[in-house]
Amino acid sequence: MPEREVTISNRLGLHARAAAKLVNLASQFDCDIELRCGERTANAKNIMSVMMLAAAKGAVLLLHAEGDRAEQALDQIETLIKQRFDELE
Amino acid sequence: MAVCALHGIGVSRGYAIGQIVRLQRDQAEIAKYHLSAQQVDLEIQRFQRSLAIAKQELQHTRARLPDSLPAEIGAFVDTHLLMLEDSLLTDAPLELIRTQQCNAEWALKIQRDQIVQVFETMDDIYLRDRRDDIDHVVTRIQRILLDGADHTAPPPSNRFSGRIVVTDDLSPADTILMQYQGVCGFITEFGGPLSHTAILARSLGIPALVGVHNARRYLQDHETVVIDGQHGVVLAGLEPPLLAYYRQRQRAEQQRLQQLRAFRNRPALTLDGLNITLHANIELPEDITAALDVGAAGVGLYRTEFLFMNRDHPPCEDEQFEAYRDALIAFEGRPVTIRTLDIGADKQIDGERQNRSRPTNPALGLRAIRLCLREPALFRPQLRAILRASIYGQARLMIPMLASIQEVIQVLQIVRELKKQLQDDRLPFDPQLPLGGMIEIPAAALCADHLARNLDFLSIGTNDLIQYTLAMDRTDDSVNYLYDPLHPAVLKLIHMALTAGHAAGIPVSLCGEMAGDTHYTRLLLGLGLTQFSMHSGSLLEIKQIVTNSDVGELRQLARQALLSDQPQDLLSRLTPQ
Repeated sequence: MPEREVTISNRLGLHARAAAKLVNLASQFDCDIELRCGERTANAKNIMSVMMLAAAKGAVLLLHAEGDRAEQALDQIETLIKQRFDELE
Repeated sequence: MAVCALHGIGVSRGYAIGQIVRLQRDQAEIAKYHLSAQQVDLEIQRFQRSLAIAKQELQHTRARLPDSLPAEIGAFVDTHLLMLEDSLLTDAPLELIRTQQCNAEWALKIQRDQIVQVFETMDDIYLRDRRDDIDHVVTRIQRILLDGADHTAPPPSNRFSGRIVVTDDLSPADTILMQYQGVCGFITEFGGPLSHTAILARSLGIPALVGVHNARRYLQDHETVVIDGQHGVVLAGLEPPLLAYYRQRQRAEQQRLQQLRAFRNRPALTLDGLNITLHANIELPEDITAALDVGAAGVGLYRTEFLFMNRDHPPCEDEQFEAYRDALIAFEGRPVTIRTLDIGADKQIDGERQNRSRPTNPALGLRAIRLCLREPALFRPQLRAILRASIYGQARLMIPMLASIQEVIQVLQIVRELKKQLQDDRLPFDPQLPLGGMIEIPAAALCADHLARNLDFLSIGTNDLIQYTLAMDRTDDSVNYLYDPLHPAVLKLIHMALTAGHAAGIPVSLCGEMAGDTHYTRLLLGLGLTQFSMHSGSLLEIKQIVTNSDVGELRQLARQALLSDQPQDLLSRLTPQ
């Protein structure tokens, strides 16, 4: 089962717009994608559950996917987070 | 008609003059109704229809966004669209309608309260404020549920032309739509400087005030008002001559700003190639945004008093840590100079200290570093908080009102102890955190060479330096005429501090009002000042002067000013034409 850890590195953390980008990306895949941050878990395709992770800068996210093209989905989400959601900082 | 002034938080600079339109977005108290088993399915359909209409409304707004807007503004709307597809809003209320046999409004309210509760507990202020997004989306659905009307028909495109909208709060989508409809200013009763509406208003360049409590009670529809975004005031009931005056100011301000904006991304380089550092003074959280907006190279003075004001007990270490950390993160590695508590004298805080008998000479009394060294319970948590925050950027620690080297030695000793403590607690901090002192007392300026050898930087606080040098109480109107930044004694003391810093090889900054006053910029450059720290509102103007100055030339003038018994006479040659 593909899994990986990514650290949130953009200044404002997983705020509304960043969460929207992540959800939009995740929704392009058929597989189930789960994000874990501390004790909280979120469905990567539900924006509010992603926002409710309250992942600020420096928080570590555990990504986990199951199903079609799971590896690819995680690759792309990891890249998005590492690129700081393409935000101008 | 009497003139009426209402105060709030100005989120974008400039003046707006227009007629008031009050919008009622407040919902009536949402009541709970019990449904019969047969009604449940109809209620579910009603809820789903409302969701669909809300989505259509937002898609409509999204499609009408002018191309000139930054892409991130469209993203505000996209975020709300995604929320309308989130099962927490689409499915969870359905479940509540079924199980509780209640009306859709009530189910949505219960669900909203649960979601918002999670946001309320978040530590991060920025993330916590995103509960506003939830509310904007929920309010939109509630409104559709309550009036049952179809809102997809586009409102006339000039609906708000020349109008100032007054409301409780605005969603980003509404803000954008109103801009498209010609709105010239916003006043909201709620919302903070970090709300999306505030960010948007700034980004769109619309003068706006947020947090103007009860605005809709005091302002009437169709009356003409003036918004002064910079000072956070709305003025109503102005007679035509005064209105004409503000129209004139509006034009002048627009012109001036347009010219100044060009300086934002230009380096503060003098004509002869000297790099000048222009820092901002900050106090309230919203000052951070203002400083970033003008491209400040960092913060030369972060006044921490506001954290301590208007409360019974000082803030705990963690609360302070968060505030300092947020400022450091916001400035992304640019220096942030945090000044330790400077209370006493004209800055009293509420609580126990106010109950003491008031000294006759508070400016010469137990204040600033004197008070802090006397009350470790006040000082140590602040130092610990600053040390802990120091890893989030380039922090600098600054001690106000130094009078002698003994105070520096005491502070250094405490900082050493606290570092040891933090190590034992396994809490990270920047071991190289620079420690600087403020030159505000003439004794400190006269002994600046001693201080400079024991500190990492100096900062000249001219407001107090002038008060102490000229023995004039800043709070006493009857001696205010004596306040003179150009007094030969003041200039000599500033020069001494600069020379001492340069000799010791440490930076010297100037953070009093003088730094942001265009009259003195050239004189200070000539005296050898290379770091200015001021209110963000002055920064671009000062930069404009810096880029038009030749420091080599100004040194001559400054030398003459230092020798002159009436430096005022040189002012005309030093101020920009």
